[in-house]
Amino acid sequence: MKNSFPLKQELKEYIVETSLTDKSKIKDDTLIFDAGLLDSMGLLFLIEFLNEKYGIEVEDDELNPKNFESINSIVAFVQSKKEIA
Amino acid sequence: MKNIKEPFSKNILKINDLEQTSNNIITKLKADVIKKLQRHGAVVGISGGIDSSVTLALAAKAFGPNKVLGVLLPEKDSSDDSRSLALELADKFGIDTVTENITSALDGFGCYQRRDEAIGRIVKDFNPKEDKAKIEIKQDIKQNIPAIFSITVIKPNEEVVSKLLPAKEYLQIVAATNFKQRSRMTMLYYHAERLHHAVIGTPNKHEVEQGFFVKYGDGGADIMPIGHLYKTQVYQLAEYLGVPQGIIDRTPTTDTYTAEQTQEDFFYQMPFETMDLIWYGWENNYPAEEVGQIMGLNTNEVESIYKNFVRKRKTTEYLRMKPIF
Repeated sequence: MKNSFPLKQELKEYIVETSLTDKSKIKDDTLIFDAGLLDSMGLLFLIEFLNEKYGIEVEDDELNPKNFESINSIVAFVQSKKEIA
Repeated sequence: MKNIKEPFSKNILKINDLEQTSNNIITKLKADVIKKLQRHGAVVGISGGIDSSVTLALAAKAFGPNKVLGVLLPEKDSSDDSRSLALELADKFGIDTVTENITSALDGFGCYQRRDEAIGRIVKDFNPKEDKAKIEIKQDIKQNIPAIFSITVIKPNEEVVSKLLPAKEYLQIVAATNFKQRSRMTMLYYHAERLHHAVIGTPNKHEVEQGFFVKYGDGGADIMPIGHLYKTQVYQLAEYLGVPQGIIDRTPTTDTYTAEQTQEDFFYQMPFETMDLIWYGWENNYPAEEVGQIMGLNTNEVESIYKNFVRKRKTTEYLRMKPIF
């Protein structure tokens, strides 16, 4: 199993910074859209962040809750994309 | 306290007394323009679409045809139907019109060049002289995820290229395209000021509440007489007021991008008839299960759509805000 700790931390810090939310309120399985942490522009900027930071390109059909609904989901998605690459 | 809420049904939004509803809007429109705004008549931008047509018809009845001016504001991407339908409408209600082609103004702003440059950064062989382009939301609204736009380019040989829009390009395309609505607003105020009339805005309830308008563009008006009406109610009023059938039968488009683009593709992600009812259910706290049973959707799907509405309303709050001081 890959070490996802730095990725998870970086994602959490990114979301805390962009949503001005208390870090303690964001758990790995918090549903980030339901919690109002990211709206559509927030998601768009997150996709840009993933591209710039990890070289991940997101396709139309990859935009679904399974890949983006929580920090855990995003970490799994990024890792799977990196494996394919 | 007894719960007197009407059971959710597909007829829940139907206007039963169209004459009364119409008269109420007309009376309020006239009183607001004359007493509150202290203007003598109305200027309405007409596009051949259902909302501006109903607005013009209401204005004609409120002020009389002689105190209403219909302004056609085409530009080079406007569809050919728009002009003929708008003129048919004005003729039907005896309204004078003026046509102001805003293509030169938009060229001056760099609207087309800025938009096409952003598209070209994503679709490398994009040729604005031959290709058609639009932006659209491709996600299923029943999925619980915020909407993200894609650019779709259609080549002369019908080949379609579609790519997710990165933030920078999405924002540039929208900002450039918004010159259209803002230029129209500027021209409407020119005519309103020279006539001492009010600018009558045409957005319906969904456009106002979901933020499907341009701030200081089509959102820039003195009064919005149909801003509280659901789209299906606008259609009901159109039939009652005698709006030409060609306008009623026309699929609502944005008439903004070079490729044909329905409002459903661009923004709403579902047909009006469905959206009206589910929005009503959400706004009036009907349980997702009850709404789902009537609409043929499961509870999770309705809940996802409710969440989408919450997000759209919150995300677009900025558009409805007045300047802060």
